[in-house]
Amino acid sequence: MRVKGNRYVFLMALAAVPIVAAGLVQRTAGQNPSSSAKGESSAKSAANGAAPKTAWGAPDLQGIWSNVAVVPFERPKQYGERQFLTEDEHQKAVDALLKRDQLPGRDSRESQGKDIRGTEKDVARAYNEHWFGDKPTEVSYRTSQIIDPPDGRMPAYTPEAQARMKKQKEYLDALLQGTSGGKPGPISPMRYQPPPDYNLDRMNRADGPEDRSAEERCFLDRLPIVLAAGPLTPDGRPVGSFAGEVRIVESPESVDFYYDVGQGSGFNRVVPITNRPHLAKDVREYWGDSIAHWEGETLVVDVTNFTHESDFRGSRENLHLIERYQRVNPKTLRITITVDDPTTWVKPFTFVQELRKNADKPNMVYEGGCHEGNQALLDMLVNTRAAEKLFSEGKGPDPAKEDNASGGGAVPE
Amino acid sequence: MRKRFGYLTVLVASAGIVGAAFCLTITAPAPRAAAQAAPATAPAARPATISGHPNMNGIWEATTTANWDLLTHTTRPMVSQPGVYPDVPVLAAPVVALGAAGGVPPGPGVVDGDEIPYKPEAAAQKKENAEHWLDRDPELRCYMPGVPRAMYMPYPFEITQGTNKIVMGFEFNGASRTIHLDPVDPPPADTWMGFSVGHWEGNTLVVNTDHFNDRTWFSRAGDFHSDALKLVERFTPMNPYALRYEVTVEDANVFTKPWKMSMVLYRQIDPNARLMEYKCVEMVEETYLGHLRKKQLVKHWEGDTMVVDITRKVPQGDKLYER
Repeated sequence: MRVKGNRYVFLMALAAVPIVAAGLVQRTAGQNPSSSAKGESSAKSAANGAAPKTAWGAPDLQGIWSNVAVVPFERPKQYGERQFLTEDEHQKAVDALLKRDQLPGRDSRESQGKDIRGTEKDVARAYNEHWFGDKPTEVSYRTSQIIDPPDGRMPAYTPEAQARMKKQKEYLDALLQGTSGGKPGPISPMRYQPPPDYNLDRMNRADGPEDRSAEERCFLDRLPIVLAAGPLTPDGRPVGSFAGEVRIVESPESVDFYYDVGQGSGFNRVVPITNRPHLAKDVREYWGDSIAHWEGETLVVDVTNFTHESDFRGSRENLHLIERYQRVNPKTLRITITVDDPTTWVKPFTFVQELRKNADKPNMVYEGGCHEGNQALLDMLVNTRAAEKLFSEGKGPDPAKEDNASGGGAVPE
Repeated sequence: MRKRFGYLTVLVASAGIVGAAFCLTITAPAPRAAAQAAPATAPAARPATISGHPNMNGIWEATTTANWDLLTHTTRPMVSQPGVYPDVPVLAAPVVALGAAGGVPPGPGVVDGDEIPYKPEAAAQKKENAEHWLDRDPELRCYMPGVPRAMYMPYPFEITQGTNKIVMGFEFNGASRTIHLDPVDPPPADTWMGFSVGHWEGNTLVVNTDHFNDRTWFSRAGDFHSDALKLVERFTPMNPYALRYEVTVEDANVFTKPWKMSMVLYRQIDPNARLMEYKCVEMVEETYLGHLRKKQLVKHWEGDTMVVDITRKVPQGDKLYER
């Protein structure tokens, strides 16, 4: 057996070379993530130790994983092509974060130094301020999640995507015209027209469920999942954070991802490990079609066949994701995602998330019930119909002149 | 290098009677180049065990009609109204255009003794649920189907059997359940799909599930439960392609005693078998929110022989928000 193993390992090593070479040649490949030795050595949060394996010898991706370190998606321009902060910069960033954590929330009772209690804006912010979660305390050594292009920033949008987004913004702004959250003026005629494109943003209208945002309709399950940062206790429990986590369970033939994200929206994604081709081009799914294969120690998940109802930072049905999962060490799972949509960005880009292992026993991955508990969507429609009825009877204000989208004069997200 | 030899040895030891061919197949991930050379239609060799237990990975589906009715039943309309004869109901208005597609297929029951021991008031509730199926079945709202219903809905589900978790991902609206083989804390609130803890007794996976809410049904025939529901499920492989699946149901609020259902779950071996998305949340918006549109959208349909007009109705009082 020993001799057989020798030969087999040698053959495996030989076979791996063309795989790595092929990976570097792909149009959509980002920087080879395992070359960030500086990041690993300076990432004090990573535990030392070899990456664990499953009983059947595959890299073990299993566990509950969350993002604990604050890192901007795009790199601030001052860092140029630098992927990592210096020790000094990192310490300053940690100090700044901890100081920021002491300030009142983003949606505080103040605006521009003035106390705004009792105003429309104050009421609109009340929800966010009440539900504010615990704040992250760690800062990543990375200057950005995006590692390719080399400047760490998203590539430019194509003219087609820019035109699409401009039309959408004009439409959403038009629906706020004449309300406290928009430009002064008469009610826009666009209010009586459908949106120019499938809409997932919050709109200042509630003629029917399609007018409401993706969050309000419980359509939160879109790829790629980008976890926000939330704190973990020293023994690995997430504490009062809305950042979310993912549970991974792995077998020789499939990998299951359960995402507990979006404040109570839980979504399951089972990805077969297969050499089967993707679905035919005209067959589209909300989450696209995911198929996985191993490339050495990396699980590569290829996702295509998205529907037109996608909107990852402006992309639509031509979104193509290549996700790479690496168990870097016992405490760290690195997820590197290449995003490619030639109808939206002029070139692909790659971003990385380094997730920390959560403790297993507290089992803090909870079932989502967004749709099952969606009283809000029903209530929004009921209330709007009631407001329209009152207005028609001369007993209430015109709902068309109210801002029910931007949060009382703030800029819509 | 040494590590690689180490786990080769462990695998040979733990595989038992499994031949060396299996060892070589599962020792290391196959390089993509080699895999592409293999015909896409040939299924990869499958280990007989996972960590010493029967391998339950794969795509499975029940072939019973339990999702319609857990008891033995003959053909009947999905929604019925009295016909000319008192004991021969006919297709009612919501389904009359469907003809044969509007029927409940017949099927043998899956319940031991072909009877569910409802308490008298619960039996009356079940009958009322069945009569108001179209208005009340949570499945029609695209809600999570609960357990055991998810196990015998007529859609496939995929089992991912890992080191100490077994996840079942259901095609129906992406519902899922996780069976914990290691000791973990239960969830802080009741759930739709329950909290499942499993252990092996020989070749049988025994799963205890509770922490249910009272929101799911067992079938389209109105079978229901309270939040006191507790299940004991047993999964026993009959061969590599079939699992015997048995469920003991206990709920002192609804049933006079525990009762049991059993069926076979079949593994899909077509190499093209896959889960696709049955995401129905967007599709059902018209059904349960259509009456709240500013302007009615779905109101009239005309075929060659039938015209259907929809008038919405808002129930009085609390029933406006009936779940």
